[in-house]
Amino acid sequence: MITITDLEKYYATEEVRTIALNKLSFKVNEGEFVAIMGPSGCGKSTLLNILGLLDDPDGGSFVFNGIEVAGFNERKRADLRKHNIGFVFQSFNLIDELTVLENVELPLIYTGVKPAERKARVDAVLEKMQIMHRRKHFPQQLSGGQQQRVAVARAVVNNPKLILADEPTGNLDSSNGNEVMDLLTELNEAGTTIIMVTHSEHDAKYSHRIIRMLDGQKVTENVLSEYVSSK
Amino acid sequence: MIRNYFKIAWRNLWKNKGYSFINIFGLAIGITCASLILLWVEDEVNFDQAIPDKELVFAVPTNQKYDGEWRTFFQATPGPLAAVLKAEIPEITKSARKRDIGYLFNVGEKSVNSAGSFADKDLIDIFGLNFIAGNPKDAFKEKKSVIITQKIASIFFDKSDDAIGKNIQFDKKETFVITAVVKDFPENTSFTFDWLAPFENFTDGKEWTQGYGANFTDTFVKLAAGSDVEKVNEKVKAILPAKTGDAETEAILFSANDWHLRSKFENGKIDGGRIEYVRLFSFIALIILIIACINFMNLSTARSEKRANEVGMRKALGSGRKQLIFQFLTEAVLTAFISGIVSLLLLIALIPQFNLLIDKNLSLAITAPIHFLPIVIITLFCGIISGLYPAFYLSSFKPIEVLKGSRRQSGSASFTRKTLVVIQFSISIIFIISTLLVYQQVQHIKNRNLGMVKENLIEMPAANGDIIKNFKSIEQELTSSGLVESVALMNSQILSGGNNTSGIDWQGKTTDADILISIRTVTPQFFNTAGMVLKEGKGFTSSEAVDSTKVLISESFAKLMATDNVVGNTIDYNGQLLTINGVVKDFLYGDMYGTSDPVMFYHQAEEADYMYIKPAVGVEINKTLAAIESVLKTQNPGFPFEYRFVDEAFNERFKSEQLVENLSQIFAVLAIIISCLGLFGLSAFTAEQRRKEIGVRKVLGSSVLGIVKLLSKDFLVLVLLSILISVPISWYVMQNWLQGFAYRIDIKLWVFAIAGFSAVLIALITVSFQAIKAAIANPVKSLRTE
Repeated sequence: MITITDLEKYYATEEVRTIALNKLSFKVNEGEFVAIMGPSGCGKSTLLNILGLLDDPDGGSFVFNGIEVAGFNERKRADLRKHNIGFVFQSFNLIDELTVLENVELPLIYTGVKPAERKARVDAVLEKMQIMHRRKHFPQQLSGGQQQRVAVARAVVNNPKLILADEPTGNLDSSNGNEVMDLLTELNEAGTTIIMVTHSEHDAKYSHRIIRMLDGQKVTENVLSEYVSSK
Repeated sequence: MIRNYFKIAWRNLWKNKGYSFINIFGLAIGITCASLILLWVEDEVNFDQAIPDKELVFAVPTNQKYDGEWRTFFQATPGPLAAVLKAEIPEITKSARKRDIGYLFNVGEKSVNSAGSFADKDLIDIFGLNFIAGNPKDAFKEKKSVIITQKIASIFFDKSDDAIGKNIQFDKKETFVITAVVKDFPENTSFTFDWLAPFENFTDGKEWTQGYGANFTDTFVKLAAGSDVEKVNEKVKAILPAKTGDAETEAILFSANDWHLRSKFENGKIDGGRIEYVRLFSFIALIILIIACINFMNLSTARSEKRANEVGMRKALGSGRKQLIFQFLTEAVLTAFISGIVSLLLLIALIPQFNLLIDKNLSLAITAPIHFLPIVIITLFCGIISGLYPAFYLSSFKPIEVLKGSRRQSGSASFTRKTLVVIQFSISIIFIISTLLVYQQVQHIKNRNLGMVKENLIEMPAANGDIIKNFKSIEQELTSSGLVESVALMNSQILSGGNNTSGIDWQGKTTDADILISIRTVTPQFFNTAGMVLKEGKGFTSSEAVDSTKVLISESFAKLMATDNVVGNTIDYNGQLLTINGVVKDFLYGDMYGTSDPVMFYHQAEEADYMYIKPAVGVEINKTLAAIESVLKTQNPGFPFEYRFVDEAFNERFKSEQLVENLSQIFAVLAIIISCLGLFGLSAFTAEQRRKEIGVRKVLGSSVLGIVKLLSKDFLVLVLLSILISVPISWYVMQNWLQGFAYRIDIKLWVFAIAGFSAVLIALITVSFQAIKAAIANPVKSLRTE
């Protein structure tokens, strides 16, 4: 599903040029659950942003579903993104002025789903995430765990092929954190590819494969459990 | 999608009530202000709209050359001109003369004073009179016919139809038959009259009205559709010189389109007029709107941090930039529409006050598209103008930066914000300075030494009734009562121009000097009554016969004679030799901003139009007025007691200046209020943003004053910068405005100092409110919530 080859990304200020990704290459298959680990500043988040089509690499190749997407302009990236990728962030990033229901509905609005179908899909996903009873609440009225469940619901409502999770449990206590990890595992078992950046060895154990990075490069890769491609 | 935008916009407005209030209220003030001005402008530009085919209708003033300079005169065409224009210029299809005059009207016991005109029949068609009763064709059939307006008809009759065929008495002497009743003129009409009667009633028996020697009447013409106005004007110009052989007096066409807005003539040509004020105020309305929009821009971008996450998330979820721009514009337009509704309420509340201020009778017809549409357009304009920059700015955020929280306030946005604050304050300070200078200038003119004493001087019409006939007894009775010091007659209003002539010669006058001298006929006590000073020689005696060959002249007339001792010299007035008996100090009449023409006074009661009364010193004015009324009841029976004070008449002359003064005060106050609202919001934002810093500083030992200084400093720098920008601009603008007045103030430095100081003070108060609030907050709280 994803193949990156010699991926490069620099951040330049007036005096220094920092290399965030240094000729990074790996592959992720459809249906896989991959954890990316490494110390702060090793390039994990930069990688996730590029994989999420929020940012553009400075060099190398990025093939998504068989299409070379490196060099896509903002509009093309946005189009690909909204149909294929869901995001889960450490700080949830829910929109404070929208209710739970409206937050989850937003991706469907941007992909042009009709209102009746929107309602059905939002209800289904809220039910699945067990937050149906909170659907009219605003984000500030929810606990952290509940907020992250809403964020996950929003990420999956469009049935994306890929979910990118950036430290999804970072702001949660352990029981809420485990709940979210269980949710992600469930989604993965149902066929969604998941790439997760994390600092937590505990969370990483939920994945099939851990890629460890340092200074923008892959250092090790350990396969934790057997993963059988559906194809 | 739109619903989603509105929803979030509404919730944002609701959640941030303080900022929303500033935005909505500021915009509402701006929209209200612009709407009021547009109402005024509408009234101004729609003047004389009641005249059919307005573009074909022209007044005919005359240009006369004096001392090498053309001067333009109204009600100053010779009697035969109207007929000649129609006969000799084929494009002119209608022409009429009109001479204004006031009469006491009587029907039975009822009487009322009326101002009307004797006119030729064509005037009915030229002005497009609207007949309610009577037949337009027969209206002027008989010489003693009169057309009256609805207003006059309603005084004497129950129904307009009842008036037809009834007699009406003019000054209790002549009887006219009412042949028609016409609709009253709209308020915004240049030439109005209560009645209209055939012109012959004025000219019959007056030989002097038949030739080209006397310029005494207004002339109006109507052209055929499609005429080339320039060409016709050239023909009109050629007529008088051809008839009289005098190339220095020519008639010109003056379009009805220009009567109200472009009536200022300079050297024989139109040189602006009220149109300048219309333009000025329209421009100012726009400026006020922009100041209000700036608040919205500044507060939106300042608070962008709060919206950044939303922008990032929406982008991550697939929103394009266009959709975000549209979303933020929707929010701005929604805010503007709420402001629009608020301003409608404000308008309804304020229009009566505004009418008082500008002396008009404007009203808002909210269901009429002509009023409704502009308000919607202004509102939309505000929404888009104020939303555009924030929309582009906010939608430019990069999702990864904002979602990771790595984005900082951009330098360019904060620079833009500061620039906008400087613009707001510069405009406000310009308004303050202008207001001060306009006020000074108006006061300057009002306090001008007129060469006479206008305070408490009573003026009343004297031409009709028995005032002139019984003047000696009136004077005697009033002065002997002890309530009145002196009484006098004059042939024109003391503040106005009147008859003048260039036909006076004196020894040493260079023959080609064509100098206009005003002629005033007065009774002996006039100078004492009006508080004028006799500089040399003697005044008039009590006998008109004794004084029949004597004149008094004004100081400026004496100066023309180029000899030191003019008393006793003779002058030649159209062949009549007159002796100069005395010289009075100059007094101001006509143009209150300029200098008046020299004057020659005769002793003569007969031609008087006005009576002047000087009350005795120390007597209550009401007692004096009551005494005058009772004397006139017996001496001038049947005529209502009407008077006014010359100082009130004087103040009336400054209506436009007063309007500018009043409006500029309002604008200055509004601009300052709106700017301060914005500053208040921005300082609240800054205080909020720097909460942690303030907390840390306080923990480290900073005093409250230190914090207040810290927070206020940045804003004060902006205000100081605004002062630097606004001073030269306002100096330049006001210097130009003052150039329009011959009698004007010098711009003093302290005006700028006061304006600058007030701006700093107001800004300081505004900012320090937030700064103090932030500074006295408990630092533990701000540090903990971080």
